[in-house]
Amino acid sequence: MLISYNWLRELSGTTLTPLELRERLTMVGLAIDGVEEKDGDSVLDVEVPSNRPDCLSHVGIAREVAVIESGKVRPPSSKPVRAEGRATDLTSVEIRDTDLCPRYAARLVCGVKIAPSPAWLAKQLEEIGQRPINNIADITNYVLHEQGQPLHAFDSAKLGGQRIVVRRATPGEKLKTLDGVERPLDADMLVIADAERPVALAGIMGGEDSEISIQTTDVLIESAYFNPDSVRRTARKLGMDTEASRRFERGADYENVLRAQNRCVELICEIAGGVATEDTIDVYPSPMPSRRIAFRPARVENLTSLSVAETDMKSILTGLGIVHTEESHAVWKCVPPTWRIDIEREEDLVEEIARHFGYDKIDSELPPSNQSGEHQPRELRIRKLRRTLQILGFDEAINFSFIEAVHDNQFELIPEFNTEDSKHAFITLKNPIIENEVRMRPTLIPGVLNSLRHNLNHGVRSCRLFETGRIFAKSDSGELPNEREALSLIATGGASEENRAQAPRETDFYDLKGSLEAALAAMNRGPLRFTKAQAKHLREGQSAMILLADGTPIGSLGRLAESVSDAYKFRQPVYVAELDLTRLLAAEELPVQYEPLPRYPSVVRDLTILVGRQITLEELLRTIEEQQVDDCRGAQLVGTYEGANIPEDRRAVTLRIEYRSDERTLRDEEVEERHRGLIDSLLRQYSAQLH
Amino acid sequence: MAESQSQEDPRTQVEAASKAFEHEFERFARFTGQYAAVQGLTLDQAESEERALAELRTRHLGKKSVLVNCKKSIGRVATEGRAAFGQLVQSREAEIVSAIEQAESKLKDHIQSARTQRESIDVTLPGRRPRRGHLHPITLVRERLEDIFVALGYAIEDDCEIETDFYNFDALNIPPNHPARASQDTFYTTEGLALRSQTSTVQIHAMQRRGAPVRMIAPGRVFRRDTPDPTHNPMFFQVEGLCVDRGISMAHLKGTVAELLRRMFGSKTVTRFRPSYFPFTEPSAEFDFSCFKCGGLGCRICKNSGWIELGGSGMVHPNVLRAAGVDPEEFSGFAFGFGIDRMVGLMYELDDIRLLFENDVRFLEQFE
Ligand SMILES: [Zn+2]
Repeated sequence: MLISYNWLRELSGTTLTPLELRERLTMVGLAIDGVEEKDGDSVLDVEVPSNRPDCLSHVGIAREVAVIESGKVRPPSSKPVRAEGRATDLTSVEIRDTDLCPRYAARLVCGVKIAPSPAWLAKQLEEIGQRPINNIADITNYVLHEQGQPLHAFDSAKLGGQRIVVRRATPGEKLKTLDGVERPLDADMLVIADAERPVALAGIMGGEDSEISIQTTDVLIESAYFNPDSVRRTARKLGMDTEASRRFERGADYENVLRAQNRCVELICEIAGGVATEDTIDVYPSPMPSRRIAFRPARVENLTSLSVAETDMKSILTGLGIVHTEESHAVWKCVPPTWRIDIEREEDLVEEIARHFGYDKIDSELPPSNQSGEHQPRELRIRKLRRTLQILGFDEAINFSFIEAVHDNQFELIPEFNTEDSKHAFITLKNPIIENEVRMRPTLIPGVLNSLRHNLNHGVRSCRLFETGRIFAKSDSGELPNEREALSLIATGGASEENRAQAPRETDFYDLKGSLEAALAAMNRGPLRFTKAQAKHLREGQSAMILLADGTPIGSLGRLAESVSDAYKFRQPVYVAELDLTRLLAAEELPVQYEPLPRYPSVVRDLTILVGRQITLEELLRTIEEQQVDDCRGAQLVGTYEGANIPEDRRAVTLRIEYRSDERTLRDEEVEERHRGLIDSLLRQYSAQLH
Repeated sequence: MAESQSQEDPRTQVEAASKAFEHEFERFARFTGQYAAVQGLTLDQAESEERALAELRTRHLGKKSVLVNCKKSIGRVATEGRAAFGQLVQSREAEIVSAIEQAESKLKDHIQSARTQRESIDVTLPGRRPRRGHLHPITLVRERLEDIFVALGYAIEDDCEIETDFYNFDALNIPPNHPARASQDTFYTTEGLALRSQTSTVQIHAMQRRGAPVRMIAPGRVFRRDTPDPTHNPMFFQVEGLCVDRGISMAHLKGTVAELLRRMFGSKTVTRFRPSYFPFTEPSAEFDFSCFKCGGLGCRICKNSGWIELGGSGMVHPNVLRAAGVDPEEFSGFAFGFGIDRMVGLMYELDDIRLLFENDVRFLEQFE
C-alpha cells in the first residue's frame, strides 16, 4: 500500500526521514518495498501483513510510527459542519441480514455542488496512485486512505423509495457496477438495495444507476461494517478486487464507522458545500463484544528470551491502544483496541511487545543439544543410487508431479498400480494450473520423455537421464492416495565419453540394464531378475519385466515402442526403465557373509553351442546348475553371436565353465570328463550343436 | 667330397672360412663404423638386418659351420701343430663373434630406440572415461541442508504430498476462510484432498509420531497454484524445520537459522529477523541474510538493499502444538521454512527458475 510521507507526518508528527522510517517500520513488521520521491513528498510502498488491516491507512501507519517514536497520533482536523434536518425524515435503513452486515450507518448531505476536487486533494490522491473523479467520490476515497474505513456515496435522488435495504440478493437479480459490468447476483451475495433493486455490491463496489453525477445535489454517505468472509466470497466469485473489498475482507474497525463517516461529511461540507443532517442513521443491533486477554508478562521472556522491564511493556501496550490492568503481578488483563482484530491471545501480546522492543535485541544461540540427528532411513541408500547413476553418465531430472490425461493408457504402470480398472485409479486435479495437466502422475516416464524431447530439440543426440519421485494412484483402503517413490531411467544415442566428440558405440538395452543393476548393487539391492514380458510402451521382443530375487515384479525395462517414439518424434532408439523404489527399498538388505578363499586353483573350459534363438541364457545357466556336476562352480557368459554362418533361427552362445575342488588340484582328465558330461546334457536338452 | 675335404689342410679351411665371413660381413661392418650407418635404417630395415645378422651367425658359428667342424677336428691334427691350430681356430672364432656382437649391439640399440619412437603417444589426448552425469542443483542443495541439520541433531522427516485439509490447514491454525485454502491458491483433487502447500504438514505428523521433545526438518515438494513464470512454479521444494522442547525461545530460533546460513553462505553471513505474520507461528518473523555477493553494499541480487529475504519463522502457535498433541504450557518450540528452489536460485544466480524443471542437460551440466 502506498503511504504519503507528508500525510503521515501530519498525522504522526514524525521526525524521522523517509529512509529512517523505511528501516524502522521494516523492523516492526511493516516491510517497505520502496521509497519514491514525488513532487516534494516521498511515497512509501508498505507491505502490510494479511492480519493487519488496521495498517491499510495513513492513520494505521501513524499509530505504529507513534509507538516507534513514543509520540501520539494527531487526529485529522476539520471544521464543524452546518447541520440541519433529520436523516430519519429523509431516508430509512433496514438490515435484513445482520449476519453479513452487523452495522450500517447512513447520513445525508443536501445541496452539494459536484465539481472536480481542489488541487491539494487531487494531488494527494494521485501521489498514492488513486485517480481523482469528482469531489464527492474523491473525499470518500481520501477518508478511506486516511482512516481505513471504506465509504460509499449514493445519489440520494436515485434511491427508489428513499430507502436503504441491506439484504442478500435474490437469484436472477443483476447489478451494473461502477466499472460498467453487469453482474449476475446470487443468494450468497450481500447487496445494498433501495426499495426495489440492488444499488451496490456490499463492501465491494457501488452501482452505476445511483452513481454521483454532475446533476447530483443530495448525497447519502454509507459507512458500514460487512462480514469479511461474505465480502471475500462475493469478490472472488465475481473476480473483483477493490480498495473497499480488500479492507472489508480482512476486517474493518466496526467502532470507526461513525468517526470516518463524520470526517467524510465534514470534508464534503467544506469542499462541496451543502448541509448535513443533524443525525446519522446507525443500525447496529448487537454490538460486537470486546476481547479480554489474560497476559502473563513472564511469557515474554519465556518465548523470546528478551528481558523487558514491566514499565517498557506497559508503555508499548499503551502506545498500541491496548488497555491493560494488573489482575495480579503475574497476570494482566488486556483489552486490545477494536482495530486490532489480529490480537486474540497471550502470544499475540508477546509479539506486540517483542516487535516494538526490537527483534534485533533477541540473543542468538543454538538450543542445548540433547539428541542426535538422523537421515531418513532410505536417504543414504538413495544417495548411493544417485551417485552411481551419476558416474554412469545419467543427469538428474526433476519434473512437475502433474501430467496430461492423454498418457492414461500409454504406459505400463508399476505392478502395484497396474490394476484392471486403472482408468479409475488415477488421482485427478480439480483445478489444474497448466492446461490439460490434470493427473497426478502414476508414472515418471512421461516426464523423462518430455525432458528427453526437450534435449533432442536443442541439438543433443546422446542423453541419459534419471528421476526419482512420487507417483500416485488411488488406494484401495483409506482416505489418502497411494504414494510411492519411483525411479525412472532413460537413455538414447551413444554411450558418450568425456571430451570425445563421438561415442564409441550406440546405447542399447544392455547399457540401461547394466546401469540399473549397478545402481541397485550400490544400494546392496539385488540381484534383480529380468524376464521377457510385454509392456504397453515397450517394443515387443526388447522389453523385460524387472523382478526381485523372490519373484516379485517391481517394474519394466526396454526399448520404447514405435507408437510412443513416433508421438514424441524420436528418430533413434530410446531405452527406458521404471521401477517401484518403495518396494525395492522395503526388501531385506542382503547380508554380507565371508566365504573362505579358494585353496586350490580352478580350471576353466569354454564351450560354444548353437541353440534356438528363443533359448535364454537364464535357462542355460539354470540347466548347468541343475546338472550338479561335481566341482562345477558355475558358468559365465563369454559372448553370443548371430549372423553370418549361423542358421537364422539359432544363436551361438559361448560360456566359460569353472571347475574347482576344495580338497585338491583337479587333474585335466577329470575336468575333461565332467565337462563332456555337461556338454552332452546341454546338447540333449536344447537340441543344440557344438559350434 | 668328404674325403677330399678331410684331406685339405685344416688351416686353409679356417682361413677360407674367415675370409668368407669377412666378405659376407662387409655390409654389416658399416654399422660399427664411426659414422654408424645404422642411424639411417628404418625400423623395418633394421629388423631385417638383425635377422640377416642372426643367419650370418648361424652360418659361421652354428653347429654346421666350418669353424665348429674345424674345432671338432682339432684332436685329429698332428700333435706338433695342434696347439698352433687350436689357437688359430679360437682367435678366428673370437674375431667373428666380436664382429657380430658389435654389429648386433648397434642394431639392437637402434631397433630399441626406433621402436620407442614409433610407439610414443600423444599424452594430451583425452583419457578414456564415460561421460559423468550431474545431480540436479535442488538435490545438491537439499543434501547439503540435510547434512547440516543432521549434524545439528535434527531428524529428517517426510510424509504424504497429498493431504487432508486437517494436516494442510486446520492443524496449522489456518482459519477456515483463509485465502490460502481457496482453490485459487491450493490444488485440490477431485476427492477434495489438497496437494500440500507447505511441508509444515510433516511437522504435525512428526509430532504425533514422536511426541515432544522433537527436532526435525522436512524437505520436500510443495504445490501452489502459480502459473509458471521466471520467478514462480506451481511446484517447488521447501524445507521446514521444527524444534520443540522445554525452554525453547526465539533466541534458539535465531541461533539455529543464523548457524544454517553461515554454513550455507559463509562465516561472515549476518542474519536479520523482522516481525511478520504466519498463522502457524506467534510471534512470527521473516529472516533475511546479508547479501553474499556484495557483502551488504547493495547489488543486483539483493536489489540494492544489502539484504536477501529468505524465509519465514516463529514460535510454534499454541494451537498447532495442541493439534499435534503437545502441551503448550509445558513445551515451546520454533519453526522455520524457506524454499530450496529460492536458495538454489540465489546461490547460482538463476534469472529464470523455470529452468529448474526443464531438465536441459546444458543447464544440469553446470552443477557439481
Ligand atoms: Zn547484494
